[in-house]
Amino acid sequence: MRWILSLVLALVAGIGTLYGLTDGFTVLTAEAARRQAVAAQPQPVPAAHVLDSAGGVDLLTRNLRDDGRVAIVNFFYTRCVALCLAQGSLTERLQQAIEAEGLQHRIRLISISFDPRDQARDLARYAVRMGADTTVWQFLSFTQPAQRDAVLDLFGIMVVPAPLGEFEHNAAFHIVTPDGRLARIVDLDDPGWALNAAKSFMTSASGTVEPKAAVRGGSVEPDGSRPAPAAADTRSAGTQPAPTGRQP
Amino acid sequence: MNRSRMVGPVSLGLAVVCLALALGLHDTLTGLMSLHMVVQIPLLVLGGVFLEQAWHAGRQPRAPSMASAPASEAQQTAVAESGSTRKRLWWKSTSGERIRWSYNAYGIPGLLLVSLIGAGWMIPKALDDALVDWRIAAFKYLGLPVCGWLLRASLRQANVVIKLFFLGNFCWMSAIVGMVYLDQPIRLCNAYLQDDQDWAGRGLIALAIVLPSCWLLAELKPIWRFLNR
Repeated sequence: MRWILSLVLALVAGIGTLYGLTDGFTVLTAEAARRQAVAAQPQPVPAAHVLDSAGGVDLLTRNLRDDGRVAIVNFFYTRCVALCLAQGSLTERLQQAIEAEGLQHRIRLISISFDPRDQARDLARYAVRMGADTTVWQFLSFTQPAQRDAVLDLFGIMVVPAPLGEFEHNAAFHIVTPDGRLARIVDLDDPGWALNAAKSFMTSASGTVEPKAAVRGGSVEPDGSRPAPAAADTRSAGTQPAPTGRQP
Repeated sequence: MNRSRMVGPVSLGLAVVCLALALGLHDTLTGLMSLHMVVQIPLLVLGGVFLEQAWHAGRQPRAPSMASAPASEAQQTAVAESGSTRKRLWWKSTSGERIRWSYNAYGIPGLLLVSLIGAGWMIPKALDDALVDWRIAAFKYLGLPVCGWLLRASLRQANVVIKLFFLGNFCWMSAIVGMVYLDQPIRLCNAYLQDDQDWAGRGLIALAIVLPSCWLLAELKPIWRFLNR
């Protein structure tokens, strides 16, 4: 019966390998895996100097702490003509939703450029183009490549240079708490969900929020329709919000 | 005889070529998802396959009765008429016994493990992780040649039905995964471009066509013999 023993061993080894590769049969893509890991354990954002659209340089963590609001962070570059535009318009709707619910003193938006070509002027111009209210929506870019890489690494953003000076990158809404921790990653399709996630962290911070407003996607997509997958061709992974997307 | 003596060195050479290509062109091959999945990983497996073949050929002289397929074929017919029939049959039955009770009976455990690991390398996360996680990278560079070795050793023990089962299983899996890749509107690997994902999908579908074709070619002789019986 030696061969039965080895058959069982082969099964155990093979299935064990698959179990390990898929984080216990829960994820198939690296994107889904990082969301799950972050939701399980919030990660501190590494120290990085950031440039804002007014030309000031500050530490990202200090920026977050001094502000005191929960931040919904995403990553882009100003020359992007595909994914970032879709992401930008979703973020704009998120901004409208925040203002409509009067949450602008508790939640804010940050878009961080990973393109070293983006200077303060580019960021300011982009903010105008996106119709950003600078008190709610801030645009930043990195000043030092090494620090940029560390932050992108933590957020799980993979930037792949593509032809014509473009980048392909994954995108999502990242909820960052004022103490500088990345606490949740939500699919780009789900601005309403991102807002809810942000609210849940706001609740734990200040203890006052009307739970009635926290209807998923309520004010972001009044018609109840999910935003069309405009840039679907470049968007990365996270087909299923998976256990990560669970209501916080 | 001369031909069978050549098998060892040739296999060893092929193994060295495969492994050297897979490791030497590391940056190029992992730069594109399609090359990573459909070239580098199969090269690593092939390296293992040829290594086992070389090792097996080196062991050959000690068991002359198992020399090479055509020779044993000729022997069988010759032996059937000679007086030593009983001795040959006795040898055959004990060898059958040995196979039945070995750890890798009919190659089934080995082929099962190789199939499962093959399935694992079709998961997009495995490709991403192999680039950033040294443990997965080690699993790739050490595990895949071992898989190849196991594959060749198991195929040697497996009969046609078992080979057909595992080959068919692998091919439909590869074709389906390839179609899923082609069909995905989103990027599955953070490290690779969307276009490239489509090419990886096409490559997997091609693999599902090429592998059985190669198998048919390799088994052409027995099939031809069967048809002419």
